[in-house]
Amino acid sequence: MLITKNIKMADVIHMNYFTLSVLNRFGIELGFGDKTVAEVCKIENVDVDFFLEIVNAFVDKDYFPKKQLQTFSVKLITDYLRKTHYDYHQIKVPEIESLIEEMVKACYSEKENLVLLKKFFNDYKQELLNHTNREETVVFPYTIAIEDAFNSKTLDNSVFDLMETYSIAIFQNEHENIEEKLFDLKNIIIKYLPQPKNSENCHKLLYALFSLEQDIIDHSRIEDKVLVPKIREMEKVITKRFGEKK
Amino acid sequence: MSKSTFIICEKSYLIRKGLISIIEKIPDTRIVQQFDSEDEIKNLGNFESDFIIINTNLLNTKTQKILQKISNTSAGGMGFTQIISLSQKSEFKEINWVEYINIDDSQNIILTKLKTLIGNRKTDNPKSEAPDEISKREIDILKNIALGLSNREIADKLFISAHTVVTHRKNITRKLGIKTVPGLTIYAILHKIINIDDTEQIKS
Repeated sequence: MLITKNIKMADVIHMNYFTLSVLNRFGIELGFGDKTVAEVCKIENVDVDFFLEIVNAFVDKDYFPKKQLQTFSVKLITDYLRKTHYDYHQIKVPEIESLIEEMVKACYSEKENLVLLKKFFNDYKQELLNHTNREETVVFPYTIAIEDAFNSKTLDNSVFDLMETYSIAIFQNEHENIEEKLFDLKNIIIKYLPQPKNSENCHKLLYALFSLEQDIIDHSRIEDKVLVPKIREMEKVITKRFGEKK
Repeated sequence: MSKSTFIICEKSYLIRKGLISIIEKIPDTRIVQQFDSEDEIKNLGNFESDFIIINTNLLNTKTQKILQKISNTSAGGMGFTQIISLSQKSEFKEINWVEYINIDDSQNIILTKLKTLIGNRKTDNPKSEAPDEISKREIDILKNIALGLSNREIADKLFISAHTVVTHRKNITRKLGIKTVPGLTIYAILHKIINIDDTEQIKS
């Protein structure tokens, strides 16, 4: 179901409670009574059209590709992506870590299996961190520089130099499927791990992994289907402008 | 397991949606494409699917030929596309209809008809129901992957081509539902295919 301006914000959460993390990233707090999406966004000072695109894309994986998201500024999109990074490292990953830690503590036999799991996730955490760091220090600043150059009337040679050393195509090539290991981890727990006596924690861990995975898939989708095509178009225009100048 | 794919050709939006909601009740099915006009039927040949469900009121003598041709070509090497009629009368006798769905059919009847077709198709294609257990050879390969060897190294060690190693890896991934090397390593340790110590030796 498509989420629109006039739906109650409360119903958005009832529809799919994973949207809680999207709300959180927009700084929208609970307790909005029967206010609609548009009303809540206005109070919280959130661009309602942008919110709608993001939340719809999150809920319905087939919502992409849509032209609307292309019209928002790169800055707005990368700001949102940055917030999702923050979410992973400050909330979702620590939660998973502490759940694994609890499982290790509560376990007396075959502890080595869980230690293995813990190490696997630790490696993954490092990989995720490298991935998001690279995006924040290299990719996002690049996309913003391209947008600035695209919008400005004058041709700045420094952008041309920048484009010589990096391009969105490079990002596309190196953009690995960061969610694959999470997929593996889920399957290992569901299918193969000898179940500890206390299965409650194990279930909690799975919920947390599913949630992180969905978030990361959504995040990559925004990058691959919105950010990359947008920047690629801008790069073309800028290259053409330089060509005309010469 | 591979999914059974459907293309639906029907003018009425309501009937299309109804049919889709029934098909979606069957696990491992996917709707590839929907067509709602005579004109679009011409493009049918550009899509691959296991089944085409079509209302004959969308067919004319020209598009009929296209459909005949499709029913004689195989979809992605998985056997021939089967064509299901979505109309009461059996027009266009040249087409090899495998089933008829009537507008008055109850949900259960439609489900039974479709499930039978899918079931028959699966048994016709033994390839699609390969057992999910991994073979002895695959365990050999898995062991070496877990030990950190590259495709080339595994190929040399086991006297097979690198291409064969890749094929084995694909099958292992499909059967276990694990894609990455660290994931496969954990599987191998949990199943005592290798020891934890083995992997640590490699890393150090």
